[in-house]
Amino acid sequence: MSDQPRNETPASVADLQAQLRSAGYLASRGLATATLIGMRLGRPILLEGEVGVGKTEMAKCLAQIGGRELIRLQCYEGIDTYQALYEWDYARQMLHVRALSESELTDAEAVSGLYGPEFLIERPLLSAIKAGISAVLLIDEVDRADDEFEAFLLELLSDFQITIPEIGTVTAASRPMVVLTSNRTRELHDALKRRCLYHWIGYPSFEEEIEIVRLRAPDAVATLAHKVVAAVQRLRDMDLAKPPGIAETLDWVDALGVLGTDDLDAAAAADTIGAVIKDRDDLELVEAELDRVVADA
Amino acid sequence: MPDVGRASEAVASTPPMEFVARLVGFGHALRDAGLPVGSDDVVTFCSAVSELTPSDLEDVYWSGRTTLVHRRDHLPLYDEVFRQYFLGHRAPADPEPYESEPIAQGQSGTLNVPDSEPGTQTGDDRPMVLGRQASGVEIQRDKRFAECTPTELAALRRIMAQVRLEPPRRRTRRRRTDPSGARLDIRRIARDAMRLSHAAPVLHRVTRAERARPLVLILDISGSMADYSRNLLQFAYSMRRAAQKVEVFCFGTRLTRITPALDRRNPDDAMKLAAARVLDWDGGTRIGASLDSFIRRWGRKGLSRGATVVICSDGLDRGEPAALASAMERLSRLCHRIIWMNPLVGDHSDTPPSTLGMMAAGPFIDTLESGHDLASLEQFAAKLAHVG
Repeated sequence: MSDQPRNETPASVADLQAQLRSAGYLASRGLATATLIGMRLGRPILLEGEVGVGKTEMAKCLAQIGGRELIRLQCYEGIDTYQALYEWDYARQMLHVRALSESELTDAEAVSGLYGPEFLIERPLLSAIKAGISAVLLIDEVDRADDEFEAFLLELLSDFQITIPEIGTVTAASRPMVVLTSNRTRELHDALKRRCLYHWIGYPSFEEEIEIVRLRAPDAVATLAHKVVAAVQRLRDMDLAKPPGIAETLDWVDALGVLGTDDLDAAAAADTIGAVIKDRDDLELVEAELDRVVADA
Repeated sequence: MPDVGRASEAVASTPPMEFVARLVGFGHALRDAGLPVGSDDVVTFCSAVSELTPSDLEDVYWSGRTTLVHRRDHLPLYDEVFRQYFLGHRAPADPEPYESEPIAQGQSGTLNVPDSEPGTQTGDDRPMVLGRQASGVEIQRDKRFAECTPTELAALRRIMAQVRLEPPRRRTRRRRTDPSGARLDIRRIARDAMRLSHAAPVLHRVTRAERARPLVLILDISGSMADYSRNLLQFAYSMRRAAQKVEVFCFGTRLTRITPALDRRNPDDAMKLAAARVLDWDGGTRIGASLDSFIRRWGRKGLSRGATVVICSDGLDRGEPAALASAMERLSRLCHRIIWMNPLVGDHSDTPPSTLGMMAAGPFIDTLESGHDLASLEQFAAKLAHVG
């Protein structure tokens, strides 16, 4: 595996911020600092935050700026090692055995060949360990997996090695950059958190969000971007069950762009509100106050 | 690439010793303030700072925040300690202690009666009478369990301890080996067949594993429930001890989570602590608003997802029926099953009491239980596994 020198990591926090920005991601000082420390110390980064604030996007952009491969493991309840780590391709092994003649089967080499790499199906974690520093491993929504899987991750993230009984131990020649994300539907185990650097991504300020819209939707008219962000910020203050994230802001700008509107008035907002508000109770609340939400600052 | 080795090396080589001492001191200050900061965290912190510009306080701030804090709830405390330690800001004169709420000895606690309503003296009412008014007075005081006679308490506890609670279960997506399972474990059969190629294959079977469903108890401790709330709290304590994943909340006019208080081994301590946490003991009832705050603060985060929610209340509500109905509707979409325990039901579980609150909540209740005496509580505990 290509063990790239450590000096490939950005020289400073500002440097990393600039690189992420060129990939279309506006990282706050805190997030960039946490990421840089994670890169330098070879520690996983745990990103928590509300839905749609760009946790997954961060990992994608990190992979992009470093020219690294993004290996993504989406967690879900009941995920086990066969889906996360590796699995033998039994069907192919059986076919292979059948194809061998009786005499060939006595050959020890032919048998051990059955457990060769061509019969091993690599899953994301094994791929990431093999890829080492040339990969960014994204373990997405780790709070959805169950406790058993968390315990397993704990072991993996401390040693970065996997033992496959038939082959032996695979150790990462260099550590991949690991990003875990959690929506905090449940509290993660403290032991797992201690392995990681922790960063909470909050909602951006008004100015930051305008920057993000300008970065991600450069075609949007400046006044429109301004009004949409102002409206979304007001929505976030409204005690909604599902406050809109940055992803929703961008969706809203796009939706208005599709309609060809350059201005956000109550009528345009009513037509496109589905891009930002995705809960019926919230919808009722917002529709009643739509005029105030889209009002000029 | 062991990071401890690298980290200590970094600490030893780059920043000067007094600087390291200052950083370590910060770790200690955080620990003194109550944050769980381990030595390994401090080592990581020091090596993180040495990777950045140690003279830049903002770098120190952010690297500390990412290495020494592991929970969002701890961030405000971190900020405060940072300000004190590095910027020399003074601590507020009276920092609010977390756990040291005094447990009042006797009935003397804070008695704060905003307005009184004639005819609603909570002690005198017989709760079995239907159609009673819920009291609209919010009384804040520390409630003692001392009024319970020792014999009564002992009897209760003896019986409560025997409550065999079988928590409701749900099937998970994991599978486990089961000789009589419905599905074949192809992976294992193939693995065996590969190893023992000449023997006839043994068929292994699997079935879906089960695990306990979360159980959420929401207890009404308002004035109209005064005669039951003590028993219900005892019951909640027994439940909490009998099963994993049990969460307990109390409400009158506001919602309080008392799960941590119930974790004491001594039931009396647990009861005392729980009683001390609840501020609106024997006050008015706002079921709708309390359920709504449960949904907002806990339910949406997943606490009630797939859970069996047991609401213990007489349904005498001082709030808007519409608020209760909408809260119940949302709760019913968030959890697996809603069981309403209403002592007013008594032994006639087929004719639900016609209080306004019960009528509003009715459509969203899956099972109506009584829980007016110990026998019914025991019955309930025994059949929880089946109703859930």
